[in-house]
Amino acid sequence: MRRDVQGAVLLLLGILLLRLTLGGSYVYYVKVSMKPFLLLTAVVLLALAAWSLWQAWRQSSDLVDDHGHNGVPQVAWLLVLPVLVVFLVSPRPLGAYTAARQLATAPVVAEPAELLPLPAGDPVDLPIADYITRAVWGQGQTLEGRDVRLTGFVTPDPDGGWWVTRLGLACCAADALSFRARVLGAEALPANTWVEVDGRWVRGDSGDPAIPLIEAEDVTRIPEPGNPYE
Amino acid sequence: MEILAVAALALVLLQPFLAGRLTNPAVQAGATVFVSIVIQALPFLVLGVVLSAAIAAFVPASFWRKALPKRPGLAVPVAGCAGAVLPGCECASVPVSGSLMSRGVAPAAALAFLLSAPAINPIVVISTFVAFPGQPMMAVARFGASLVTAVIVGWIWLRWGRGEWLRIPTSRHVEGQSRWQTFAAAATHDLLHAGGFLVVGGIAAAVLNVAIPQQWLQTLAEHPALAIVGLALLAVLLSICSEADAFVAASLTQFSLTARLAFLVVGPMVDLKLISLQAGTFGKSFMYRFAPTTFVMAVLMATVFGWWLL
Repeated sequence: MRRDVQGAVLLLLGILLLRLTLGGSYVYYVKVSMKPFLLLTAVVLLALAAWSLWQAWRQSSDLVDDHGHNGVPQVAWLLVLPVLVVFLVSPRPLGAYTAARQLATAPVVAEPAELLPLPAGDPVDLPIADYITRAVWGQGQTLEGRDVRLTGFVTPDPDGGWWVTRLGLACCAADALSFRARVLGAEALPANTWVEVDGRWVRGDSGDPAIPLIEAEDVTRIPEPGNPYE
Repeated sequence: MEILAVAALALVLLQPFLAGRLTNPAVQAGATVFVSIVIQALPFLVLGVVLSAAIAAFVPASFWRKALPKRPGLAVPVAGCAGAVLPGCECASVPVSGSLMSRGVAPAAALAFLLSAPAINPIVVISTFVAFPGQPMMAVARFGASLVTAVIVGWIWLRWGRGEWLRIPTSRHVEGQSRWQTFAAAATHDLLHAGGFLVVGGIAAAVLNVAIPQQWLQTLAEHPALAIVGLALLAVLLSICSEADAFVAASLTQFSLTARLAFLVVGPMVDLKLISLQAGTFGKSFMYRFAPTTFVMAVLMATVFGWWLL
């Protein structure tokens, strides 16, 4: 690979990182806390790109003809691929497709040391993971008699009904886990519709606390939030 | 350069046409996972590359002769334990260990470091501890099984490994270049080289991430022995960053703790993106021998530690 091409590839990659980070769509892929590291990485990439391009320009002006080959194999071309994918597919945050694949497994939330009472608010905004913790580990005691609001997207259940769902990232979108609560008393909307579900916790008929339920009073469509993950 | 320019022009013209057609949810999810693997790994890869370039350019070779025990048999465990202090994930440790070898560190010791660094560093241990609340032995078992695997594989390489299998990356120090020139040249080369292989691994992992049917996992979980090997293989296929894999393991609730320990021990040592990175850095004939040996050792150690501690 010629030195000027090396510079161009690094330049493209650096610009991609800058664009994703400054444009805000990096939150589709990684956690918000990665932002400073992504910016730093972009700076290093751009600096190395500038160095390579400068070397290439200097060599050609010195008429030093060693073809600029210095043992970088052709596999480096593949680094253009992420740039192409972002440009061509313009990926969206993971959503109902990923969540539906996880319907067979139980939603995991760690057992809390203690459950604090719900904060003030009517309705009180709760992350879905928190709602599951209170419903499953706390047997719903801290939820009883309170109006809550869950924010997430619609995942239709193949067996009927639907879930209000939010994906959680531990590190990046490759390890996304779905948190979900089954919504009762409201018509299903199309998959991936973002909604706020106002309602109350109810105990399941089967008495199975592992399926968190919410009896909806009101379901409002909302635009996709800035950070699609929880 | 000309190819790049023409391709870019063609793509700009084709983009509206293509973007409308790539809306299948599986393609979209796969694309998101692919880009996220690359973006998540890049900062760590850059850290590793900068670190290894700094080793090549600024640390004299004599330093390593003083820092590590002379006998390679002793250097292996010391290097393995040294892995506990590099807080990076697996992408960073490949270029660093390549650079250690080219500066005269015994390959077996550098390999023990390569295996242990992503598995036992503080960030990984803490995230395992957090992901398995109420089961602190999980983090302990992971630390123990990973360190023992790294050291044993190092010793195996020392005893049976042959020099010609391993292509030690050459340090590209040219007379007359300044140290900063050496640094920038090494960093650029390693970044492009390892980055290309990272992309290969990322594609494979993304395809599998959206293609493995969840029912398979359910079936696997019902057989204890199959479950261990199955989750170990899943760790290879998914190629999740070692700082995050504990949370995924925690979600695989239908599996035994020992099977999940195997997932955590194998993942940072053998996975698709690592195999690809190692083949690129040390050569294919190395990778064919090293990856299977490590895999078998990691599964064995996970089983032993799981039976003992969990």
